[in-house]
Amino acid sequence: MSPNNDAAPGNNLPIEIDYDNIDVGRIMEAIKSKVAQEVGRETDETLTESPGTASGTPQAAETDSLSEQAGRRTGMKRLLLRIMSPFAPLIKLVILPVYEEQRQTLLSLHNTNKRLDALVSMLHEEIEKNNRNREYTKLLHHLVHNIVVEMSKLKIEEETLKTKTRLMEKDFEILTKRERALEKEIFK
Amino acid sequence: MRIAFVIQRYGLDISGGAELECRLTAERMMKYFDTEVLTTKAFDYITWRNHYLDDEEVINGVLVRRFPVVRPRHPGRFGRLQDYLLSHDHTEEEELRWMDEMGPLVPDLIQYIKLNEEAYDYFIFFSFRYYPSYWGVRTVPGKSILVPTAERDPVIGLRIFHDLFRLPRAIVYNSVEEREMINAISGNEHIPSDVGAVGIEIPPSFSGEAFREKYRLEGPYILYLGRVDENKGCAELFSHFLRFQKETRSDLKLVLAGSTVMRIPHHPDIIYLGYIGEEDKFSALEGAELLVMPSIYESLSIVTLEAWAVGTPVLANARCDVLKGQCLRSQGGLFYENYLEFREALSLLLQSDRLRQALGENGKKYCRANYTWDIIEKKYLSLFETLEKSKRS
Repeated sequence: MSPNNDAAPGNNLPIEIDYDNIDVGRIMEAIKSKVAQEVGRETDETLTESPGTASGTPQAAETDSLSEQAGRRTGMKRLLLRIMSPFAPLIKLVILPVYEEQRQTLLSLHNTNKRLDALVSMLHEEIEKNNRNREYTKLLHHLVHNIVVEMSKLKIEEETLKTKTRLMEKDFEILTKRERALEKEIFK
Repeated sequence: MRIAFVIQRYGLDISGGAELECRLTAERMMKYFDTEVLTTKAFDYITWRNHYLDDEEVINGVLVRRFPVVRPRHPGRFGRLQDYLLSHDHTEEEELRWMDEMGPLVPDLIQYIKLNEEAYDYFIFFSFRYYPSYWGVRTVPGKSILVPTAERDPVIGLRIFHDLFRLPRAIVYNSVEEREMINAISGNEHIPSDVGAVGIEIPPSFSGEAFREKYRLEGPYILYLGRVDENKGCAELFSHFLRFQKETRSDLKLVLAGSTVMRIPHHPDIIYLGYIGEEDKFSALEGAELLVMPSIYESLSIVTLEAWAVGTPVLANARCDVLKGQCLRSQGGLFYENYLEFREALSLLLQSDRLRQALGENGKKYCRANYTWDIIEKKYLSLFETLEKSKRS
Protein backbone atom coordinates (compact mmCIF):
# COMPACT_ATOMS: atom_id res chain seq x y z
CA MET A 1 0.00 0.00 0.00
CA SER A 2 1.37 3.37 -0.92
CA PRO A 3 -1.00 6.19 -0.13
CA ASN A 4 -0.15 9.37 -1.97
CA ASN A 5 -1.49 12.83 -1.78
CA ASP A 6 -2.80 14.68 -4.79
CA ALA A 7 -4.36 18.08 -4.64
CA ALA A 8 -6.80 19.19 -7.32
CA PRO A 9 -6.40 22.84 -8.32
CA GLY A 10 -9.87 23.73 -7.04
CA ASN A 11 -8.41 24.35 -3.58
CA ASN A 12 -5.45 23.33 -1.49
CA LEU A 13 -6.95 20.47 0.50
CA PRO A 14 -5.31 17.17 -0.48
CA ILE A 15 -7.21 14.05 -1.52
CA GLU A 16 -5.60 10.87 -0.32
CA ILE A 17 -5.52 8.11 -2.92
CA ASP A 18 -4.35 4.57 -2.33
CA TYR A 19 -3.18 3.73 -5.85
CA ASP A 20 -2.74 0.03 -5.11
CA ASN A 21 -6.33 -0.29 -4.03
CA ILE A 22 -8.37 2.38 -5.78
CA ASP A 23 -11.70 3.11 -4.10
CA VAL A 24 -13.83 5.35 -6.34
CA GLY A 25 -16.45 5.74 -3.62
CA ARG A 26 -13.90 7.18 -1.18
CA ILE A 27 -12.40 9.47 -3.81
CA MET A 28 -15.86 10.80 -4.63
CA GLU A 29 -16.62 11.35 -0.94
CA ALA A 30 -13.38 13.32 -0.62
CA ILE A 31 -14.26 15.40 -3.70
CA LYS A 32 -17.75 16.08 -2.35
CA SER A 33 -16.43 17.18 1.05
CA LYS A 34 -13.86 19.45 -0.67
CA VAL A 35 -16.61 21.03 -2.73
CA ALA A 36 -18.80 21.46 0.36
CA GLN A 37 -15.96 23.14 2.28
CA GLU A 38 -15.24 25.44 -0.64
CA VAL A 39 -18.88 26.46 -0.94
CA GLY A 40 -19.02 27.11 2.80
CA ARG A 41 -15.86 29.24 2.70
CA GLU A 42 -17.12 31.30 -0.26
CA THR A 43 -20.40 31.93 1.52
CA ASP A 44 -18.58 33.11 4.68
CA GLU A 45 -16.37 35.43 2.61
CA THR A 46 -19.36 36.93 0.83
CA LEU A 47 -21.08 37.59 4.13
CA THR A 48 -17.96 39.24 5.56
CA GLU A 49 -17.46 41.39 2.48
CA SER A 50 -21.10 42.51 2.36
CA PRO A 51 -21.82 46.22 3.05
CA GLY A 52 -21.68 47.18 6.76
CA THR A 53 -24.88 46.27 8.44
CA ALA A 54 -24.00 46.70 12.12
CA SER A 55 -21.80 48.98 14.16
CA GLY A 56 -18.38 47.63 15.13
CA THR A 57 -17.63 46.10 11.70
CA PRO A 58 -14.75 47.50 9.57
CA GLN A 59 -17.35 49.03 7.30
CA ALA A 60 -18.94 50.78 10.27
CA ALA A 61 -15.52 52.13 11.38
CA GLU A 62 -14.86 53.39 7.88
CA THR A 63 -18.24 55.09 7.86
CA ASP A 64 -17.31 56.77 11.16
CA SER A 65 -14.10 58.23 9.70
CA LEU A 66 -15.93 59.41 6.62
CA SER A 67 -18.54 61.01 8.81
CA GLU A 68 -15.83 63.04 10.47
CA GLN A 69 -14.69 64.27 7.05
CA ALA A 70 -17.97 64.73 5.31
CA GLY A 71 -20.00 65.93 8.27
CA ARG A 72 -23.69 66.10 7.68
CA ARG A 73 -23.82 63.85 4.60
CA THR A 74 -22.07 61.04 6.40
CA GLY A 75 -24.28 61.58 9.41
CA MET A 76 -27.24 60.88 7.20
CA LYS A 77 -25.57 57.72 5.96
CA ARG A 78 -24.97 56.56 9.52
CA LEU A 79 -28.56 57.26 10.37
CA LEU A 80 -29.70 55.27 7.35
CA LEU A 81 -27.43 52.36 8.28
CA ARG A 82 -28.78 52.42 11.83
CA ILE A 83 -32.32 52.38 10.51
CA MET A 84 -31.44 49.48 8.19
CA SER A 85 -29.65 47.47 10.89
CA PRO A 86 -32.78 45.49 11.95
CA PHE A 87 -33.04 44.31 8.35
CA ALA A 88 -29.41 43.12 8.27
CA PRO A 89 -30.25 39.37 8.25
CA LEU A 90 -32.67 39.92 5.36
CA ILE A 91 -30.07 41.91 3.39
CA LYS A 92 -27.51 39.17 4.05
CA LEU A 93 -29.95 36.60 2.74
CA VAL A 94 -30.64 38.61 -0.40
CA ILE A 95 -26.98 39.11 -1.28
CA LEU A 96 -26.07 35.44 -0.73
CA PRO A 97 -24.89 33.94 -4.01
CA VAL A 98 -27.40 31.56 -5.56
CA TYR A 99 -25.58 28.98 -7.56
CA GLU A 100 -26.83 27.82 -10.90
CA GLU A 101 -26.58 24.19 -9.76
CA GLN A 102 -28.68 24.89 -6.70
CA ARG A 103 -31.24 26.69 -8.83
CA GLN A 104 -31.38 23.76 -11.22
CA THR A 105 -31.69 21.31 -8.35
CA LEU A 106 -34.48 23.39 -6.84
CA LEU A 107 -36.25 23.54 -10.19
CA SER A 108 -35.96 19.81 -10.66
CA LEU A 109 -37.13 19.23 -7.07
CA HIS A 110 -40.06 21.55 -7.71
CA ASN A 111 -41.05 19.58 -10.80
CA THR A 112 -40.63 16.32 -8.93
CA ASN A 113 -42.78 17.68 -6.11
CA LYS A 114 -45.50 18.67 -8.55
CA ARG A 115 -45.47 15.22 -10.08
CA LEU A 116 -45.42 13.61 -6.63
CA ASP A 117 -48.41 15.75 -5.59
CA ALA A 118 -50.29 14.52 -8.63
CA LEU A 119 -49.28 10.95 -7.86
CA VAL A 120 -50.30 11.30 -4.21
CA SER A 121 -53.76 12.56 -5.20
CA MET A 122 -54.02 9.63 -7.63
CA LEU A 123 -52.93 7.31 -4.82
CA HIS A 124 -55.66 8.69 -2.56
CA GLU A 125 -58.24 8.11 -5.27
CA GLU A 126 -56.96 4.57 -5.72
CA ILE A 127 -57.11 3.97 -1.96
CA GLU A 128 -60.72 5.22 -1.90
CA LYS A 129 -61.57 3.01 -4.83
CA ASN A 130 -59.88 0.12 -3.06
CA ASN A 131 -61.87 0.73 0.12
CA ARG A 132 -65.09 0.83 -1.85
CA ASN A 133 -64.15 -2.40 -3.58
CA ARG A 134 -63.31 -3.98 -0.23
CA GLU A 135 -66.77 -3.09 1.15
CA TYR A 136 -68.42 -4.36 -1.99
CA THR A 137 -66.46 -7.61 -1.75
CA LYS A 138 -67.54 -7.97 1.90
CA LEU A 139 -71.18 -7.52 0.89
CA LEU A 140 -70.80 -10.04 -1.87
CA HIS A 141 -69.23 -12.45 0.60
CA HIS A 142 -72.20 -12.08 2.99
CA LEU A 143 -74.60 -12.52 0.12
CA VAL A 144 -72.89 -15.69 -1.05
CA HIS A 145 -72.80 -16.97 2.54
CA ASN A 146 -76.56 -16.37 2.95
CA ILE A 147 -77.29 -18.01 -0.37
CA VAL A 148 -75.31 -21.10 0.71
CA VAL A 149 -77.24 -21.25 4.03
CA GLU A 150 -80.58 -20.93 2.23
CA MET A 151 -79.61 -23.56 -0.30
CA SER A 152 -78.65 -25.93 2.52
CA LYS A 153 -82.02 -25.36 4.20
CA LEU A 154 -83.81 -26.01 0.93
CA LYS A 155 -81.82 -29.19 0.43
CA ILE A 156 -82.81 -30.45 3.89
CA GLU A 157 -86.42 -29.55 3.20
CA GLU A 158 -86.27 -31.37 -0.11
CA GLU A 159 -84.94 -34.49 1.65
CA THR A 160 -87.71 -34.28 4.27
CA LEU A 161 -90.35 -33.93 1.56
CA LYS A 162 -88.88 -36.89 -0.32
CA THR A 163 -89.06 -39.00 2.84
CA LYS A 164 -92.64 -37.87 3.44
CA THR A 165 -93.54 -38.78 -0.15
CA ARG A 166 -92.01 -42.24 0.28
CA LEU A 167 -94.03 -42.77 3.49
CA MET A 168 -97.20 -41.62 1.77
CA GLU A 169 -96.53 -43.99 -1.12
CA LYS A 170 -96.18 -46.86 1.36
CA ASP A 171 -99.41 -45.82 3.13
CA PHE A 172 -101.14 -45.68 -0.22
CA GLU A 173 -99.92 -49.21 -1.07
CA ILE A 174 -101.19 -50.55 2.25
CA LEU A 175 -104.54 -48.85 1.74
CA THR A 176 -104.81 -50.30 -1.78
CA LYS A 177 -104.06 -53.80 -0.43
CA ARG A 178 -106.62 -53.31 2.33
CA GLU A 179 -109.18 -52.05 -0.19
CA ARG A 180 -108.65 -55.18 -2.32
CA ALA A 181 -108.94 -57.45 0.73
CA LEU A 182 -112.18 -55.74 1.79
CA GLU A 183 -113.60 -55.98 -1.73
CA LYS A 184 -112.88 -59.74 -1.72
CA GLU A 185 -114.70 -60.16 1.61
CA ILE A 186 -117.73 -58.16 0.39
CA PHE A 187 -118.17 -60.04 -2.88
CA LYS A 188 -117.79 -63.53 -1.35
CA MET B 1 -34.47 -23.61 -32.50
CA ARG B 2 -35.76 -20.72 -34.58
CA ILE B 3 -35.47 -17.27 -33.04
CA ALA B 4 -36.71 -13.89 -34.24
CA PHE B 5 -35.23 -10.62 -33.04
CA VAL B 6 -37.76 -7.78 -33.16
CA ILE B 7 -36.48 -4.20 -33.27
CA GLN B 8 -37.71 -0.79 -34.43
CA ARG B 9 -34.80 -0.21 -36.88
CA TYR B 10 -32.07 -2.44 -38.21
CA GLY B 11 -29.09 -1.90 -40.46
CA LEU B 12 -25.33 -1.51 -40.62
CA ASP B 13 -25.69 2.25 -40.96
CA ILE B 14 -27.90 2.66 -37.89
CA SER B 15 -26.00 3.87 -34.85
CA GLY B 16 -28.53 3.71 -31.99
CA GLY B 17 -27.37 1.79 -28.90
CA ALA B 18 -30.30 -0.65 -28.69
CA GLU B 19 -30.20 -1.25 -32.45
CA LEU B 20 -26.48 -2.01 -32.30
CA GLU B 21 -26.97 -4.33 -29.33
CA CYS B 22 -29.72 -6.17 -31.22
CA ARG B 23 -27.65 -6.53 -34.39
CA LEU B 24 -24.55 -7.77 -32.59
CA THR B 25 -26.55 -10.24 -30.49
CA ALA B 26 -28.46 -11.55 -33.53
CA GLU B 27 -25.21 -12.06 -35.43
CA ARG B 28 -23.75 -13.94 -32.46
CA MET B 29 -26.81 -16.12 -31.89
CA MET B 30 -26.63 -17.25 -35.53
CA LYS B 31 -23.95 -19.74 -34.42
CA TYR B 32 -26.45 -21.61 -32.26
CA PHE B 33 -29.90 -21.03 -33.73
CA ASP B 34 -31.80 -20.32 -36.91
CA THR B 35 -31.93 -16.53 -36.47
CA GLU B 36 -34.04 -13.88 -38.19
CA VAL B 37 -34.76 -10.22 -37.64
CA LEU B 38 -38.23 -8.66 -37.88
CA THR B 39 -38.06 -4.91 -38.24
CA THR B 40 -39.41 -1.86 -40.04
CA LYS B 41 -38.39 -0.05 -43.22
CA ALA B 42 -37.52 3.05 -41.18
CA PHE B 43 -34.08 4.60 -40.85
CA ASP B 44 -34.81 7.91 -39.13
CA TYR B 45 -35.87 7.53 -35.50
CA ILE B 46 -37.61 10.92 -35.37
CA THR B 47 -40.15 10.43 -38.16
CA TRP B 48 -39.88 6.66 -38.86
CA ARG B 49 -40.33 7.38 -42.57
CA ASN B 50 -39.94 4.29 -44.79
CA HIS B 51 -36.39 4.29 -46.14
CA TYR B 52 -35.39 0.72 -46.98
CA LEU B 53 -37.04 -0.60 -50.16
CA ASP B 54 -36.63 -4.39 -49.91
CA ASP B 55 -39.02 -6.55 -47.91
CA GLU B 56 -36.23 -9.00 -47.18
CA GLU B 57 -32.44 -8.79 -47.15
CA VAL B 58 -29.49 -10.58 -45.60
CA ILE B 59 -27.19 -8.51 -43.38
CA ASN B 60 -24.00 -10.21 -42.17
CA GLY B 61 -25.65 -13.59 -42.68
CA VAL B 62 -28.88 -12.77 -40.82
CA LEU B 63 -32.20 -12.75 -42.70
CA VAL B 64 -33.96 -9.42 -42.14
CA ARG B 65 -37.71 -9.10 -42.83
CA ARG B 66 -38.85 -5.50 -43.13
CA PHE B 67 -42.40 -4.22 -42.68
CA PRO B 68 -43.65 -0.80 -43.80
CA VAL B 69 -44.46 2.01 -41.36
CA VAL B 70 -48.08 2.93 -42.15
CA ARG B 71 -47.92 6.45 -40.70
CA PRO B 72 -44.76 8.48 -40.04
CA ARG B 73 -44.41 10.20 -36.68
CA HIS B 74 -45.34 13.85 -36.36
CA PRO B 75 -42.69 15.08 -33.88
CA GLY B 76 -44.66 18.18 -32.83
CA ARG B 77 -47.89 16.31 -32.14
CA PHE B 78 -46.01 13.54 -30.38
CA GLY B 79 -44.07 16.02 -28.21
CA ARG B 80 -47.26 17.85 -27.20
CA LEU B 81 -49.03 14.63 -26.31
CA GLN B 82 -46.05 13.40 -24.28
CA ASP B 83 -45.80 16.71 -22.39
CA TYR B 84 -49.51 16.52 -21.64
CA LEU B 85 -49.29 12.93 -20.38
CA LEU B 86 -46.30 13.65 -18.17
CA SER B 87 -47.84 16.69 -16.52
CA HIS B 88 -51.55 15.83 -16.29
CA ASP B 89 -53.74 13.13 -14.95
CA HIS B 90 -54.75 11.03 -17.94
CA THR B 91 -56.42 7.83 -19.05
CA GLU B 92 -54.98 4.58 -20.32
CA GLU B 93 -56.59 5.28 -23.70
CA GLU B 94 -54.49 8.42 -24.00
CA GLU B 95 -51.40 6.40 -23.17
CA LEU B 96 -52.27 3.95 -25.94
CA ARG B 97 -52.67 6.90 -28.30
CA TRP B 98 -49.20 8.02 -27.17
CA MET B 99 -47.90 4.55 -28.08
CA ASP B 100 -49.39 4.90 -31.60
CA GLU B 101 -47.79 8.33 -31.91
CA MET B 102 -44.48 7.02 -30.58
CA GLY B 103 -44.46 4.35 -33.31
CA PRO B 104 -43.07 3.08 -35.52
CA LEU B 105 -46.59 2.10 -36.49
CA VAL B 106 -46.17 -1.32 -38.13
CA PRO B 107 -49.38 -3.35 -37.77
CA ASP B 108 -48.17 -5.74 -40.49
CA LEU B 109 -45.24 -6.74 -38.30
CA ILE B 110 -47.58 -7.57 -35.40
CA GLN B 111 -49.88 -9.45 -37.80
CA TYR B 112 -46.91 -11.43 -39.10
CA ILE B 113 -45.92 -12.39 -35.54
CA LYS B 114 -49.51 -13.43 -34.81
CA LEU B 115 -49.82 -15.59 -37.93
CA ASN B 116 -46.36 -17.14 -37.63
CA GLU B 117 -46.19 -17.71 -33.89
CA GLU B 118 -45.84 -21.46 -34.35
CA ALA B 119 -42.93 -21.08 -36.78
CA TYR B 120 -40.64 -19.55 -34.13
CA ASP B 121 -39.55 -20.85 -30.74
CA TYR B 122 -38.80 -17.44 -29.25
CA PHE B 123 -39.17 -13.77 -30.14
CA ILE B 124 -36.58 -11.42 -28.60
CA PHE B 125 -38.00 -7.89 -28.38
CA PHE B 126 -35.64 -4.93 -28.00
CA SER B 127 -36.61 -1.53 -26.45
CA PHE B 128 -39.79 -1.66 -24.40
CA ARG B 129 -41.04 1.79 -25.41
CA TYR B 130 -41.71 1.23 -29.09
CA TYR B 131 -44.82 -0.08 -30.84
CA PRO B 132 -43.29 -3.36 -32.15
CA SER B 133 -42.15 -4.43 -28.66
CA TYR B 134 -45.25 -3.26 -26.81
CA TRP B 135 -47.76 -5.01 -29.07
CA GLY B 136 -45.38 -7.85 -29.96
CA VAL B 137 -44.94 -8.96 -26.35
CA ARG B 138 -48.72 -8.78 -25.89
CA THR B 139 -49.27 -10.89 -29.02
CA VAL B 140 -46.91 -13.73 -28.06
CA PRO B 141 -46.24 -13.37 -24.31
CA GLY B 142 -45.44 -17.07 -23.87
CA LYS B 143 -42.67 -16.97 -26.46
CA SER B 144 -41.27 -13.53 -25.80
CA ILE B 145 -38.00 -12.43 -24.26
CA LEU B 146 -37.77 -8.71 -23.61
CA VAL B 147 -34.58 -6.65 -23.64
CA PRO B 148 -36.06 -3.40 -22.27
CA THR B 149 -33.02 -1.08 -22.71
CA ALA B 150 -34.83 1.20 -20.25
CA GLU B 151 -33.41 4.44 -18.96
CA ARG B 152 -34.66 6.35 -15.97
CA ASP B 153 -36.87 8.63 -18.02
CA PRO B 154 -40.42 9.59 -17.04
CA VAL B 155 -42.32 7.60 -19.69
CA ILE B 156 -41.45 4.39 -17.90
CA GLY B 157 -43.99 5.48 -15.30
CA LEU B 158 -46.89 5.26 -17.78
CA ARG B 159 -49.50 2.74 -16.68
CA ILE B 160 -49.44 0.78 -19.94
CA PHE B 161 -45.89 -0.35 -19.20
CA HIS B 162 -46.51 -1.68 -15.70
CA ASP B 163 -47.94 -5.01 -16.74
CA LEU B 164 -45.80 -5.18 -19.90
CA PHE B 165 -42.82 -6.15 -17.75
CA ARG B 166 -44.86 -8.93 -16.13
CA LEU B 167 -45.84 -10.57 -19.43
CA PRO B 168 -42.71 -11.97 -21.13
CA ARG B 169 -41.24 -15.39 -20.45
CA ALA B 170 -37.89 -13.81 -19.61
CA ILE B 171 -36.12 -10.45 -19.48
CA VAL B 172 -32.52 -9.58 -20.29
CA TYR B 173 -31.50 -6.36 -18.56
CA ASN B 174 -28.54 -4.22 -19.50
CA SER B 175 -27.54 -3.31 -15.97
CA VAL B 176 -28.27 -4.02 -12.33
CA GLU B 177 -29.78 -0.53 -11.97
CA GLU B 178 -32.16 -1.15 -14.87
CA ARG B 179 -33.32 -4.39 -13.26
CA GLU B 180 -33.87 -2.68 -9.89
CA MET B 181 -35.85 0.13 -11.51
CA ILE B 182 -38.13 -2.21 -13.49
CA ASN B 183 -38.60 -4.53 -10.50
CA ALA B 184 -39.66 -1.52 -8.43
CA ILE B 185 -42.09 -0.30 -11.09
CA SER B 186 -43.77 -3.57 -12.01
CA GLY B 187 -42.98 -6.03 -9.21
CA ASN B 188 -41.85 -8.60 -11.80
CA GLU B 189 -39.16 -10.31 -9.73
CA HIS B 190 -40.69 -13.70 -10.51
CA ILE B 191 -39.91 -13.41 -14.26
CA PRO B 192 -36.66 -15.26 -15.12
CA SER B 193 -34.00 -12.69 -15.95
CA ASP B 194 -30.32 -11.99 -16.32
CA VAL B 195 -28.11 -8.95 -16.75
CA GLY B 196 -26.62 -9.32 -20.22
CA ALA B 197 -25.81 -6.43 -22.61
CA VAL B 198 -23.09 -6.84 -25.24
CA GLY B 199 -19.57 -8.09 -25.67
CA ILE B 200 -16.90 -5.54 -26.48
CA GLU B 201 -14.50 -6.29 -29.29
CA ILE B 202 -11.52 -4.10 -29.99
CA PRO B 203 -10.02 -3.89 -33.49
CA PRO B 204 -6.62 -5.53 -34.02
CA SER B 205 -4.82 -2.25 -34.64
CA PHE B 206 -5.41 1.24 -33.35
CA SER B 207 -3.15 4.00 -32.10
CA GLY B 208 -3.73 7.12 -30.10
CA GLU B 209 -0.63 8.73 -31.59
CA ALA B 210 -1.79 8.06 -35.16
CA PHE B 211 -5.17 9.58 -34.28
CA ARG B 212 -3.49 12.73 -32.94
CA GLU B 213 -1.45 13.04 -36.11
CA LYS B 214 -4.41 12.39 -38.39
CA TYR B 215 -6.55 15.06 -36.78
CA ARG B 216 -3.64 17.36 -35.83
CA LEU B 217 -4.40 17.31 -32.14
CA GLU B 218 -1.84 18.76 -29.80
CA GLY B 219 -1.85 18.57 -26.04
CA PRO B 220 -4.17 16.63 -23.77
CA TYR B 221 -7.80 16.11 -24.70
CA ILE B 222 -10.93 14.66 -23.18
CA LEU B 223 -13.27 12.81 -25.49
CA TYR B 224 -17.01 12.68 -26.01
CA LEU B 225 -18.29 9.97 -28.37
CA GLY B 226 -21.85 9.66 -29.58
CA ARG B 227 -24.69 11.87 -30.76
CA VAL B 228 -24.08 15.51 -29.83
CA ASP B 229 -27.51 16.18 -28.40
CA GLU B 230 -29.02 18.16 -25.53
CA ASN B 231 -30.80 14.99 -24.43
CA LYS B 232 -27.38 13.39 -24.04
CA GLY B 233 -26.27 16.14 -21.64
CA CYS B 234 -24.00 17.89 -24.17
CA ALA B 235 -25.27 21.42 -23.42
CA GLU B 236 -24.31 20.97 -19.77
CA LEU B 237 -20.98 19.46 -20.80
CA PHE B 238 -20.15 22.52 -22.97
CA SER B 239 -21.09 24.87 -20.16
CA HIS B 240 -19.00 22.96 -17.57
CA PHE B 241 -16.03 22.64 -19.91
CA LEU B 242 -15.98 26.31 -20.93
CA ARG B 243 -16.26 27.39 -17.29
CA PHE B 244 -13.45 24.99 -16.40
CA GLN B 245 -11.26 26.45 -19.14
CA LYS B 246 -12.05 29.98 -18.02
CA GLU B 247 -11.12 29.21 -14.44
CA THR B 248 -8.06 27.03 -15.00
CA ARG B 249 -6.74 28.36 -18.36
CA SER B 250 -5.45 24.87 -19.18
CA ASP B 251 -4.45 23.67 -22.64
CA LEU B 252 -7.03 20.89 -22.44
CA LYS B 253 -9.25 20.25 -25.48
CA LEU B 254 -12.70 18.73 -25.66
CA VAL B 255 -12.88 16.47 -28.72
CA LEU B 256 -16.31 15.41 -29.97
CA ALA B 257 -17.05 12.66 -32.49
CA GLY B 258 -20.42 11.51 -33.78
CA SER B 259 -23.48 12.95 -35.44
CA THR B 260 -24.90 16.23 -34.17
CA VAL B 261 -28.39 17.57 -33.58
CA MET B 262 -27.45 20.71 -31.65
CA ARG B 263 -25.29 23.76 -32.08
CA ILE B 264 -21.71 23.26 -30.89
CA PRO B 265 -20.17 26.40 -29.32
CA HIS B 266 -17.44 28.08 -31.38
CA HIS B 267 -14.41 27.87 -29.14
CA PRO B 268 -10.79 27.01 -29.97
CA ASP B 269 -10.74 24.33 -27.26
CA ILE B 270 -13.81 22.48 -28.54
CA ILE B 271 -13.02 20.33 -31.57
CA TYR B 272 -15.76 18.54 -33.47
CA LEU B 273 -14.62 15.76 -35.78
CA GLY B 274 -17.97 14.51 -37.13
CA TYR B 275 -18.55 10.81 -37.68
CA ILE B 276 -15.42 8.65 -37.32
CA GLY B 277 -14.90 4.96 -38.16
CA GLU B 278 -14.45 2.03 -35.75
CA GLU B 279 -10.64 2.06 -35.84
CA ASP B 280 -10.48 5.83 -35.36
CA LYS B 281 -12.92 5.53 -32.49
CA PHE B 282 -10.66 3.17 -30.54
CA SER B 283 -7.60 5.25 -31.47
CA ALA B 284 -9.38 8.35 -30.16
CA LEU B 285 -10.21 6.53 -26.94
CA GLU B 286 -6.64 5.38 -26.49
CA GLY B 287 -5.24 8.85 -27.08
CA ALA B 288 -7.68 10.59 -24.74
CA GLU B 289 -6.95 11.47 -21.14
CA LEU B 290 -10.45 10.26 -20.35
CA LEU B 291 -13.89 9.73 -21.84
CA VAL B 292 -16.57 12.09 -20.60
CA MET B 293 -20.17 10.80 -20.45
CA PRO B 294 -22.57 13.65 -19.60
CA SER B 295 -25.78 11.77 -20.41
CA ILE B 296 -28.46 11.25 -17.76
CA TYR B 297 -30.47 8.74 -19.78
CA GLU B 298 -28.40 5.61 -20.36
CA SER B 299 -29.35 2.00 -19.93
CA LEU B 300 -25.85 0.73 -20.70
CA SER B 301 -23.49 3.08 -22.61
CA ILE B 302 -21.48 0.83 -24.92
CA VAL B 303 -18.95 3.60 -25.48
CA THR B 304 -18.11 3.63 -21.76
CA LEU B 305 -17.35 -0.08 -21.95
CA GLU B 306 -15.24 0.51 -25.08
CA ALA B 307 -13.23 3.17 -23.23
CA TRP B 308 -12.56 0.75 -20.41
CA ALA B 309 -11.69 -2.00 -22.92
CA VAL B 310 -8.73 0.11 -24.08
CA GLY B 311 -7.83 1.19 -20.55
CA THR B 312 -9.16 4.75 -20.65
CA PRO B 313 -10.86 6.06 -17.50
CA VAL B 314 -14.30 7.65 -17.56
CA LEU B 315 -15.80 10.81 -16.08
CA ALA B 316 -19.56 10.25 -15.95
CA ASN B 317 -22.67 12.12 -14.94
CA ALA B 318 -23.69 10.83 -11.51
CA ARG B 319 -27.32 11.71 -12.16
CA CYS B 320 -27.40 8.64 -14.42
CA ASP B 321 -27.53 5.85 -11.86
CA VAL B 322 -26.39 3.25 -14.42
CA LEU B 323 -23.17 5.14 -15.21
CA LYS B 324 -22.52 5.84 -11.53
CA GLY B 325 -23.16 2.20 -10.68
CA GLN B 326 -20.84 1.04 -13.47
CA CYS B 327 -18.08 3.39 -12.22
CA LEU B 328 -18.43 2.07 -8.67
CA ARG B 329 -18.57 -1.59 -9.71
CA SER B 330 -15.63 -1.32 -12.08
CA GLN B 331 -13.63 1.22 -10.04
CA GLY B 332 -12.86 2.57 -13.49
CA GLY B 333 -14.09 6.16 -13.39
CA LEU B 334 -15.18 9.17 -11.40
CA PHE B 335 -18.51 10.99 -11.60
CA TYR B 336 -20.02 14.42 -10.98
CA GLU B 337 -23.37 15.91 -10.11
CA ASN B 338 -22.62 19.60 -10.63
CA TYR B 339 -19.97 21.93 -11.96
CA LEU B 340 -17.86 22.02 -8.81
CA GLU B 341 -17.65 18.24 -8.69
CA PHE B 342 -16.93 18.19 -12.43
CA ARG B 343 -14.07 20.63 -11.91
CA GLU B 344 -12.60 18.76 -8.94
CA ALA B 345 -12.90 15.30 -10.52
CA LEU B 346 -11.50 16.48 -13.87
CA SER B 347 -8.64 18.33 -12.20
CA LEU B 348 -7.76 15.31 -10.11
CA LEU B 349 -7.79 13.03 -13.14
CA LEU B 350 -5.75 15.39 -15.30
CA GLN B 351 -3.22 15.94 -12.57
CA SER B 352 -2.53 12.31 -11.77
CA ASP B 353 -1.28 9.98 -14.51
CA ARG B 354 -1.20 7.23 -11.92
CA LEU B 355 -4.85 7.64 -11.04
CA ARG B 356 -5.89 7.61 -14.70
CA GLN B 357 -3.80 4.52 -15.30
CA ALA B 358 -5.16 2.70 -12.25
CA LEU B 359 -8.78 3.54 -13.14
CA GLY B 360 -8.18 2.52 -16.76
CA GLU B 361 -6.70 -0.82 -15.67
CA ASN B 362 -9.65 -1.46 -13.34
CA GLY B 363 -12.04 -0.68 -16.20
CA LYS B 364 -10.18 -3.06 -18.49
CA LYS B 365 -10.40 -5.89 -15.95
CA TYR B 366 -14.11 -5.21 -15.39
CA CYS B 367 -14.76 -5.29 -19.11
CA ARG B 368 -12.90 -8.59 -19.56
CA ALA B 369 -14.77 -10.15 -16.66
CA ASN B 370 -18.27 -9.08 -17.74
CA TYR B 371 -18.47 -7.88 -21.31
CA THR B 372 -16.89 -10.43 -23.66
CA TRP B 373 -19.05 -12.23 -26.20
CA ASP B 374 -18.27 -15.63 -24.65
CA ILE B 375 -19.84 -14.47 -21.39
CA ILE B 376 -22.85 -12.81 -23.04
CA GLU B 377 -23.52 -15.81 -25.30
CA LYS B 378 -23.37 -18.14 -22.29
CA LYS B 379 -25.91 -15.98 -20.50
CA TYR B 380 -28.36 -16.15 -23.40
CA LEU B 381 -27.83 -19.90 -23.83
CA SER B 382 -28.36 -20.52 -20.15
CA LEU B 383 -31.57 -18.47 -20.25
CA PHE B 384 -32.87 -20.49 -23.20
CA GLU B 385 -31.97 -23.70 -21.34
CA THR B 386 -33.94 -22.55 -18.28
CA LEU B 387 -36.94 -21.68 -20.43
CA GLU B 388 -36.84 -25.00 -22.27
CA LYS B 389 -36.60 -26.89 -18.97
CA SER B 390 -39.59 -25.06 -17.54
CA LYS B 391 -41.48 -25.68 -20.80
CA ARG B 392 -40.85 -29.44 -20.49
CA SER B 393 -41.81 -29.58 -16.83
